Amino acid sequence: MANKEKGFNIKIYAVISFIAVAASLLVICMLTFNAKYTAFHPEKVAEGFVATIVSGGDGYNAYKNTVLSKNDKYGDFIRKNYIEPVVTRDGKNYSDDSVKGEKTLGDDGSLSGELIEKMYPVYEELINKYGWDDYDSIFSGYIERLIAVREELFGDSFFNDEVFFSTFEANVARFSELLTGTDEVFDENTGVKLSDECKGIYEELYGEDYRFIIAAENIREEDTEDYKKTADTEKLLSYGVNADDIDDVLTVTVKVSESDTVLAEIDVTLLKIGRSYYVDNTKTDTSALYTFYVK
Amino acid sequence: MSDKNRYMKKSEIITFGIGLFGIALLTGWMPDYTATFFADFAFKGKGFDPDMMSNMISMVFFVAGIVGAVCELVIGYLVDNTRTKFGKVKPWVGFGVIPLALISMFVFVSPDTNNQTFAIIWMFVIYSAYTMACCAVESPANCFGALCSPEPSERSSAISIASFLRSVGQSGGMVVILVVGLIMKALMGEQQFKNAEGQGLDLVISTGICALGIILFTMIFFVNNKERVPFTQEKVSLKDAVKVVFTNKNLLMVSLTKLCGFGRGVYGTVSLYIAIYLLGSKDLKLGLLLPMGIGTAVGTLLVNIVLKKFSTKQTFILFSLYGASSLAILFLVSRGIGFNDGLIIPFLILNFFCGLQHGNTNVTPNIMIADCVDEIEYKTGKRQEGLAYAGYGLFSKVASAFTKALGPWLLYTWSGYLVSADANVAYAAQTDGTLNKLLMIYTIIPAAFVVLQAVPVFFYDMVGEKKEKITRELIARRENAGAEN
Repeated sequence: MANKEKGFNIKIYAVISFIAVAASLLVICMLTFNAKYTAFHPEKVAEGFVATIVSGGDGYNAYKNTVLSKNDKYGDFIRKNYIEPVVTRDGKNYSDDSVKGEKTLGDDGSLSGELIEKMYPVYEELINKYGWDDYDSIFSGYIERLIAVREELFGDSFFNDEVFFSTFEANVARFSELLTGTDEVFDENTGVKLSDECKGIYEELYGEDYRFIIAAENIREEDTEDYKKTADTEKLLSYGVNADDIDDVLTVTVKVSESDTVLAEIDVTLLKIGRSYYVDNTKTDTSALYTFYVK
Repeated sequence: MSDKNRYMKKSEIITFGIGLFGIALLTGWMPDYTATFFADFAFKGKGFDPDMMSNMISMVFFVAGIVGAVCELVIGYLVDNTRTKFGKVKPWVGFGVIPLALISMFVFVSPDTNNQTFAIIWMFVIYSAYTMACCAVESPANCFGALCSPEPSERSSAISIASFLRSVGQSGGMVVILVVGLIMKALMGEQQFKNAEGQGLDLVISTGICALGIILFTMIFFVNNKERVPFTQEKVSLKDAVKVVFTNKNLLMVSLTKLCGFGRGVYGTVSLYIAIYLLGSKDLKLGLLLPMGIGTAVGTLLVNIVLKKFSTKQTFILFSLYGASSLAILFLVSRGIGFNDGLIIPFLILNFFCGLQHGNTNVTPNIMIADCVDEIEYKTGKRQEGLAYAGYGLFSKVASAFTKALGPWLLYTWSGYLVSADANVAYAAQTDGTLNKLLMIYTIIPAAFVVLQAVPVFFYDMVGEKKEKITRELIARRENAGAEN
């Protein structure tokens, strides 16, 4: 036959399909990663950092965007520097099961709940006294009091990271809820009401439909060498960051506004290490973000 | 099986399984992780009404369920009317897999919008598109077993091995996300990984890998496997096609096993509570599912051995009786030991033995449907794999909807389960009566449905001499048709 139709080569089709789809998937993944992963975008890093604090006075979780968390998981940083030294002290391991007393072993969550309640005023007192820029005083002071209060309540000196994180993070959440308010909560399966609605300070000050706009403006490139001369290199080293690793230093002004009224404005210092940007918590003053809602 | 009766190359049996593994890798991954992505990551920080979003996400999956059920029949009909030199099923799998892989990827690429209505429309459109693309590949792939060999015993072996690999593939996504997480941690550091995870980026990358997996594994199948049962030339009308699903007695009986046994799956609803209340730790939920999953995989291979000695009908009934008995034994042993630490090991061991029965429900009905397709061809001269499997798929979807309704009703209403009203107490103490009912939901109630699922099979008769006669007759017809051409 003169016009013999060429046969469809299934093997070539399979190879070409695989290569074409692999290339497409790679491009889609890279574009998505680049667009969504905030650490590649200085303005998003600065906005994210401020947004975390403003969302509920949450300076605790904001550290996840900082240079403090570049090498270590934030939780591991706290474990290593604040929890482990008190868990193992005086040659004794206070996280050992043998330290647990009857009340600890028999607790169904009620006593742990009481501990959270008793520690909340301590948390509030510490953040008001030191502010979240001085995390060292907050963690050290909180843990010291937590050990004492827990011992009084449970009748034993058991302590581990779970005791700290469950109590501390419940206090952080409670502080946020006081600002943002809470809705009524119902069990999704039975409809049983679990908690009442509560109006937050933000709603009282800015109305029910308040919405904070957090915008990065005025990104300025700083002299990296000047920065390195004045940087707290010892502290950076304790985060596992060598000053020589820093490629660029930026200052980003971030404004928090509601209904066209600027509520707060701070300068966020960012360090570029590799392709990613990190907030330099040693240079950034966040105090203005905790004062605009104080009545 | 003598070499004379062997049609497939040995490698084809494996590559059929590899193909199903690849498809299950993506389709097993998508529903759960899509729900997570839509709920937690797609529009994070956009300030959308969370109640509205959560209701709409449920609606997205409800609508996708309806779209899937309709597509199942439509694709079945289209498959039966496909005539190409590659066969009737292979083109759907080999060509359909490309849009499926790309659409799956786009499910995890959410638009950057502040408009909630647009976001909701996007979720409906993209997930419905995924469901359609999924049906166009998965349904035809599932019925390939009926076409891979005209010899029933050979195709039974192929279906059982492929079903085993498919069940492994369904959990493959969990391994992918684990490995992706480890690699991301190593490259980015722990906290930066946590931040990326918080934006759902590990899900995006894992979906990319699963999508690449489906292309790779399906192409291996596409290149190596052949349809060895010739399709009949008559075009099938939609009316006749749908009629087949509901009027062929044997096919209807196989499909009814799904409907009659719909309550088998209610144990899944209660497994977390079994771990907490009966075994003492919610961490043991994985411990419960793992032995059962291993049991299922082993059961899939075991069925193949049993099928060499018994008919499909006998195998199904035998495994159903075994399944009900193993669940009853689990109930009695648990009651005997009591709900304490001493129960953990016996419970987990018995859980493995309870899992063996699931191998039967994964494999045997697929083999029976292939036999039904032969019977339909024998009676009508038309070969309708597409619709036969689509009909079974439709009944499976209806059964699954019943399971999803029955499970929560049993747990939250019938058992008298008490929800904790204390914010500091995650799981409230339950009465002995409730604990016993939880155990029943895990054991005795599924056991009753396991027995019920076997009832329709008593009326199934495509076995023994009848099956042999039909097989011989069809082979002869095809040889005659081949000689005439």
